[in-house]
Amino acid sequence: MPSTSFLTDISINHYLILSAILFSIGMAGVLLRRNIIVLFMSIELMLNAVNISFVTFSHYFDKVDGQVMVFFVMTIAAAEAAVGLALAVSIFKRFKEVNIRFFEHLKG
Amino acid sequence: MTADVFIFWFLAILTIVSALSVVLMTNPIYSALSLAMTMVSVAAIFVTLQAYFLAGVQLIVYAGAVMVLFVMVLMLFDLKNELQAFSRGKFTGAIKVGAVGILAGLIVGAVGSFIMAGKSGAPVTPEASTSADATKALSEHLFFNHVFGFEALGVLLLVIAVGTVALSRSKGGTHAKH
Repeated sequence: MPSTSFLTDISINHYLILSAILFSIGMAGVLLRRNIIVLFMSIELMLNAVNISFVTFSHYFDKVDGQVMVFFVMTIAAAEAAVGLALAVSIFKRFKEVNIRFFEHLKG
Repeated sequence: MTADVFIFWFLAILTIVSALSVVLMTNPIYSALSLAMTMVSVAAIFVTLQAYFLAGVQLIVYAGAVMVLFVMVLMLFDLKNELQAFSRGKFTGAIKVGAVGILAGLIVGAVGSFIMAGKSGAPVTPEASTSADATKALSEHLFFNHVFGFEALGVLLLVIAVGTVALSRSKGGTHAKH
């Protein structure tokens, strides 16, 4: 029988596994959903998962480089959300629908 | 069970449940609310990791600005419950679920080997610093060692702002007839 010390000793692994679970949920959302808005939300989930592991390593190795990187990731995430939502608005203006399959009309 | 352990498990379960409801809710408004809940609990996780300033930034940028952006766009769209929220196709759906399952299996393997290995090594927790010290160290690092990245991000944000305004102002958006 495995010991239950993993329940009471919070280590770096706990945070990393939490981050991995969050990343998997975000990936499932990107793959399975059709609504472009929910797709962007799932991408935000994945970016947050990465942020958690950055901060975890930064805390356990006592270096602040990870936290600086989290700043950069947050900026990129905000920019990505702005551009993506502007694209979604223009898709919606044209098709009255935000389903991902309308993005195939973008080619050409 | 000490308070730290309880707080960690509470936050972990809260984060995972709200992240799952982002993906599983069929009404996008509920997805947005669950995403806000996820952001708040991630900010609390940052606090438990003694990244106090990042927790504040997370609350302001994600739970504030990005969520307002999402909710505003949802308000523009006037969406009801979607008839077909999830992608269809049995074969591709199986592939997608399989891909997620492989990743989840990796996680379960990691958890299993981690439990089987017994103890995980003594965590080298640095001594608790005050939030002012941590923020000072972070700002010195950001403005001394990464100042070029900081300036580049400023330029990037300006370009993004101009591009977004241009994109949403142009007639027909990306589908302008020539």
